[in-house]
Amino acid sequence: MSKQAIGSVLVVGGGIAGIQASLDLADSGYLVYLVEKNSAIGGVMSQLDKTFPTNDCSMCIISPKLVEVGRHLNIELLTLSEVQSISGEQGNFEIKLTQHPRYVDVDKCIACGICAEKCPKKVLNEYDAGLGKRKSIYLKYAQAVPLKYAIDENCIYFKKGKCKACEKFCPSDAINFDDKQKELTINAGAILIAPGSAVYDPSVYDTYGYKQSPNIVTSLEFERILAATGPFAGDLVRPSDKKAPAKIAWLQCVGSRDINTCDNSYCSSVCCMYANKQAVIAKEHCDDPLDTAIFFMDLRTYGKDFDKYNLRAQEDHGVRFIRSRIHSVFPDDDDKLRIVYATESGKRAEERFDMVVLSVGLSPGKDVAGLAEKMGVELNNHGFARTSCLSPVSTNREGIFVCGTFQEPKDIPHTVMEASASAAAATGNLSHARWSLTRVKEMPPEENVTGQKPRIGVFVCNCGINIGGVADVPAIRDYARDLTHVIHVEDNLFTCSQDNQDHIKQIIREKGINRVVVASCSPRTHEPLFQETIRDAGLNKYLFEMANIRDHNTWVHMDNPEKATEKAKDLVRMAVAKAAYSEPLHQVSLKISKAALVIGGGVSGMEAAVGIADQGRPVYLVEKSIELGGNAKFLGTTWQGEQIGPYLEDLVNRVKNHPDIELFMQTKVTGTTGTMGNFSTTLTSLNGEGKEIKIDHAVTVLATGGREKVPEQYLYGEHPHVMTQLDMDRAFSESDERLSGTKSVVFIQCVGSRIPERPYCSKICCTHSLKSALLLKNKNPKMKVYIVYRDIRSYGFREELYVQAREAGVIFIRYNLKNLPKVESLEDDHLSVTVTDHVLGMPVRLKPDLLVLASGIVPNANTALFEFFKVPVNSEGFLIEAHAKLRPVDFSSEGIFLAGLAHYPKPIEESIAQAKAAASRAMTILAKEEIMVGGVVASVEDARCAACLTCVRTCPYGIPKINEDSHAVIDSAECHGCGMCVSECPGKAISLQHFTDEQLLAKTSALFTSGG
Amino acid sequence: MKKFNIPHNFEFTSIITLYAQWIREGKLKVNSDWNRDLKIKFTLQDPCNIVRKTWGELMADDLRFVIKTIVGEENFVDMIPCGTNNFCCGGGGGALQAGLPEQRRAYGKVKFDQIIKTGANYVFAPCHNCHGQMEDIGEFYGGNYHVVHIWTIMCLAMGVLGENERAYLGPDLAKVGL
Amino acid sequence: MTSPIELDELYCDFKESVQASIPEANLDLCLTCGACTGGCPASELLDMDPRKLVRMVLLGMDDEVRKTPWAWVCTMCARCFKACPMKINIPKLVYSVRRSWPRDKAPKGIRGSCDQHIRAGNAMGVPSKDFIWVVEDVAEEIQENDPKFKDLKVTVDRKGAHLVINQNSREPVTEPDELGPLWKILHMVEADWTYPSVMWAGENYCLFLADEEGWKYILEEFVYHIDNNLGAKVVVNTE
Repeated sequence: MSKQAIGSVLVVGGGIAGIQASLDLADSGYLVYLVEKNSAIGGVMSQLDKTFPTNDCSMCIISPKLVEVGRHLNIELLTLSEVQSISGEQGNFEIKLTQHPRYVDVDKCIACGICAEKCPKKVLNEYDAGLGKRKSIYLKYAQAVPLKYAIDENCIYFKKGKCKACEKFCPSDAINFDDKQKELTINAGAILIAPGSAVYDPSVYDTYGYKQSPNIVTSLEFERILAATGPFAGDLVRPSDKKAPAKIAWLQCVGSRDINTCDNSYCSSVCCMYANKQAVIAKEHCDDPLDTAIFFMDLRTYGKDFDKYNLRAQEDHGVRFIRSRIHSVFPDDDDKLRIVYATESGKRAEERFDMVVLSVGLSPGKDVAGLAEKMGVELNNHGFARTSCLSPVSTNREGIFVCGTFQEPKDIPHTVMEASASAAAATGNLSHARWSLTRVKEMPPEENVTGQKPRIGVFVCNCGINIGGVADVPAIRDYARDLTHVIHVEDNLFTCSQDNQDHIKQIIREKGINRVVVASCSPRTHEPLFQETIRDAGLNKYLFEMANIRDHNTWVHMDNPEKATEKAKDLVRMAVAKAAYSEPLHQVSLKISKAALVIGGGVSGMEAAVGIADQGRPVYLVEKSIELGGNAKFLGTTWQGEQIGPYLEDLVNRVKNHPDIELFMQTKVTGTTGTMGNFSTTLTSLNGEGKEIKIDHAVTVLATGGREKVPEQYLYGEHPHVMTQLDMDRAFSESDERLSGTKSVVFIQCVGSRIPERPYCSKICCTHSLKSALLLKNKNPKMKVYIVYRDIRSYGFREELYVQAREAGVIFIRYNLKNLPKVESLEDDHLSVTVTDHVLGMPVRLKPDLLVLASGIVPNANTALFEFFKVPVNSEGFLIEAHAKLRPVDFSSEGIFLAGLAHYPKPIEESIAQAKAAASRAMTILAKEEIMVGGVVASVEDARCAACLTCVRTCPYGIPKINEDSHAVIDSAECHGCGMCVSECPGKAISLQHFTDEQLLAKTSALFTSGG
Repeated sequence: MKKFNIPHNFEFTSIITLYAQWIREGKLKVNSDWNRDLKIKFTLQDPCNIVRKTWGELMADDLRFVIKTIVGEENFVDMIPCGTNNFCCGGGGGALQAGLPEQRRAYGKVKFDQIIKTGANYVFAPCHNCHGQMEDIGEFYGGNYHVVHIWTIMCLAMGVLGENERAYLGPDLAKVGL
Repeated sequence: MTSPIELDELYCDFKESVQASIPEANLDLCLTCGACTGGCPASELLDMDPRKLVRMVLLGMDDEVRKTPWAWVCTMCARCFKACPMKINIPKLVYSVRRSWPRDKAPKGIRGSCDQHIRAGNAMGVPSKDFIWVVEDVAEEIQENDPKFKDLKVTVDRKGAHLVINQNSREPVTEPDELGPLWKILHMVEADWTYPSVMWAGENYCLFLADEEGWKYILEEFVYHIDNNLGAKVVVNTE
């Protein structure tokens, strides 16, 4: 079947999951149809203000991905579209789609905004979570992709048959009221569903009064309040009177972990962290001290660096965390909100707040049940996609995969990880069809401008009224005419419009222009467009300069048009001065190795190896021990109850028998050179002879794992009936006699985790203890089972286990770091555990036959290996990924990826997903024959180099080397072009192409000479 | 009856439901004209038994519909919280006769504060337990509100309340509609 | 420091008995989140609160649970139940605690009212014939004094009446004048109604006492009377 497979993939849903999956797929040789039901992609992430745990601006980090999707030759973006039906099977699906009319011609719309300005119909702005208003003709948000307006069903013309104000005023004739619904049929080899989830509507919580007070908001509304693009322009004010609040409360678990008011028994996984983040960011927004209180049940900061974030929130920012579920919120005088709550000691306390944020959970999206039915995809009892822990991105139907919050509520890193994983899983059977449907752009030959005198064309954009409404654009244009080397000037209403691109090309050819300057908006969004335009006209793309006279000028100096005009002239003069020195730069293609090196033979390493090998690329898999399988060898079942043994056996067999995997057991890496595309690594055998072998590979996956920490407390190793969770699993599988006749078992959680030495949560131990406790209760329902814990962190659907454990009569007793459980061996050698009951405030004593310590996970120490690859580790020894949010399996050094426990403690399903993700990311490189390198990179002038090593020490990527001739070399194929070595080099021996001293000095000196 | 599975041939309803139904049907011709100038303020205790524990929001809505009809919407002030989330008066469940007056009154302080906060002169008590408890805590904590039955004010509004039927009214209403 | 409670020596008999009689009570599911306690006006009284009571039940502190007089301070108002994320029926738990009290140890006031109700059909112990006499007397007075109500009809046990209306015993016993307003309203809407002579009172102290036998007896008597003697379609609660 894979022989006839189609080399295209349908991705349903344009949130961050669909975006990441589409980019991975398109970059590794498949044509992607990305179907989005809204008028623009971006999903919930585009609505968020900041993201935890890095506090990055959400829009700033997603926006480049949006633009990339919009411009990608191999992603066909179908907005306002929905799947109607599918037929066929894995390898060849036929999908019928309905595309709803936009009523705006996307080829003509220049997103000037005049239509929306003139449109008389106001509607609630869903992008602002309903807090603000937008017009019936709208752009979802300023950075929307596609950046095209759309008309919704509230349009007055649709309702009453007249108006058409937008049509009258549209400068580019883009409005089309005759637009019709289209039925499309596409074919795809696989389908990915990533429709996301819905934000829980808290109206049913009548005791919280969400509908009664405007100062009670959902967490998503609060994101919009914090956001600079939100309804209050980023001012933190109460909706009722627009005054700055002095006290804000967050109520956790609204629409989560509740089977009474709502039916969402699961944990929504993200709310504890976003509440932490919102409280910290809210404090940063306020000039006056802001009091913040988070009312919670269990604090579930289980992810990487989450507990540290929480500690900072408490200790550095003074965010209050109060363990109490709130019964009611009462409206009080002055629009305040009164909360009465039970303290941990059982007293009732009362506080008044200016605002209350309801930390709402994630519900199944309202359309997903229908979508799943059309797809023939099963849902679980919560209404999310049903998956197995052992194939976490596969649905019940072959060829249809799932990722993101439709699978289970989860945060952005995990979503991005799964998105990549599902891309790898989806194409596992399509590799024969790779590159079969992709498109390649034909370019005209580049004109040689070397030696030519600069002939500069300057295009000044009015940007509708954005620039022209403030600055005097004709004056700027006329000013530019007199600048040196300028031979053509003009101004445009929108320089970026499609017809202007053709016009610019024509002018370049007619007038023999060899440098182009556009004075308009941000290069971040528009430079690639103009570069493409001049490249189409035969000019090297680096012969382009941009002056940002909008974002840096007319937007910020709106009240001072004269000075704005003068500043615009300065900026244009500087851009022209630099353009005169612009040089064409040529990227060169570099042939790359076809192979991958995977280090670590646990589940993560094996899954990554199989994932890559299934795509037809050779893999070297290196394992230092004598056996494959890692920690999975000791595990019985997943939390959902799937047997790990048979899965592992099958995986090991696939690895051993795969024609494209070469296995190196009892082997370690002893050195490596090279970078992405062309690594050369030395492997040394550990079994006696110490045989060495050198291999070439294009990418490296580090899956070096972690292990259960050996406890140093609670009589471990001293008393025979004290064991770790893995000891207990083993005891179970070996029918250990210590388990027979057991009447009472105690589990102690967080042993060695969440303490000052190891301030992180090991993520899996709560689930593990719950599972073990249930096994015990199952064996003997009369057995007394106690779990002594700090917070139960059964995130997502794992909450089911917590419910089951309580139902089975397991007793949960909470302790804290100030009052640890006391473990003793009594005179009769029986164990005694004394702990204070958290409700009664009284000591209780347990005399267990067995004490199980939920000991944390520590990473395997691989200092030398990590040094070879120059990959960073954090203070706990876990590998640091390139970006905690959007590049969770990449390293900053390109071509190296990570997966599994080496990254952070995680359950097997997440290790599998991360390993598949690593395979997907690796394939974006391995799929290519060659890579383009160079361009904006640093180059060394040998004669000036004193080999002082400054560049070597400065470079964050470790690229500069001192060669045999004693001067620095910076491989243009490896350089990232960040410019740090250039600025640090004391001998001025290094320059950055396109940002040379000559170019920058010309630009800065132009600032201080009044041109002409 | 549901608890003991006792079969029966009749259905159960509340007099409040009937009041609301009769007003809507026009059978019960009553309005709040009498209070247009007096502007006497009323609040309402939602009895746990018929509101939260039995008929829920429907009963809470019917109660307010009936009361607003007879005293005027502008003269009705709800407690915070109210309806299905209202606090119990503290006299329910037999507490009035449980012989623990100190605790019962401490419990009732919540209700007392709620009533005082409304600023109303009269509290409707559609339950005899609530009636007794609110009178008791009013006296104990020194509140100057009166506790009334709905039927009293309804008859007052219709001008048919006899002189001898005014035991629970304050001096401000002692002569109204006679 | 108080000596620790030896949990392994406790057995959750009380919890199991509650679960057997009220399987939907969800006691085991308690998250100790405190929503119940934060919303309960009886919290802290007698050093007890709903969360603590559930906890003691789950840990098996049956002796303390069975003895707590707090069971009579709690009014079983169900505000805790409304907000409990785990839908734990604390009112029914309290009812079970009350039920576990020996009848002679239960509060006198409630027990007495329950006994009266069983005996006479109302908590104040008024014999039916006295009730009928008071009703007729007050009705007569209204008919005579107010010409608008000269046709006022108040009946007891009128067969075939559409509505049967119950009456809190406080009015006929201590403040008969309070009966009038309701009758006037019923008269003005021309309601077809009657009082029952059996178990005519609106209150129910046996429920409060958690005396299930008494409660059940009252209901059975009442239902028998309505269905077999009167045949009313609707019973109207005036509480």
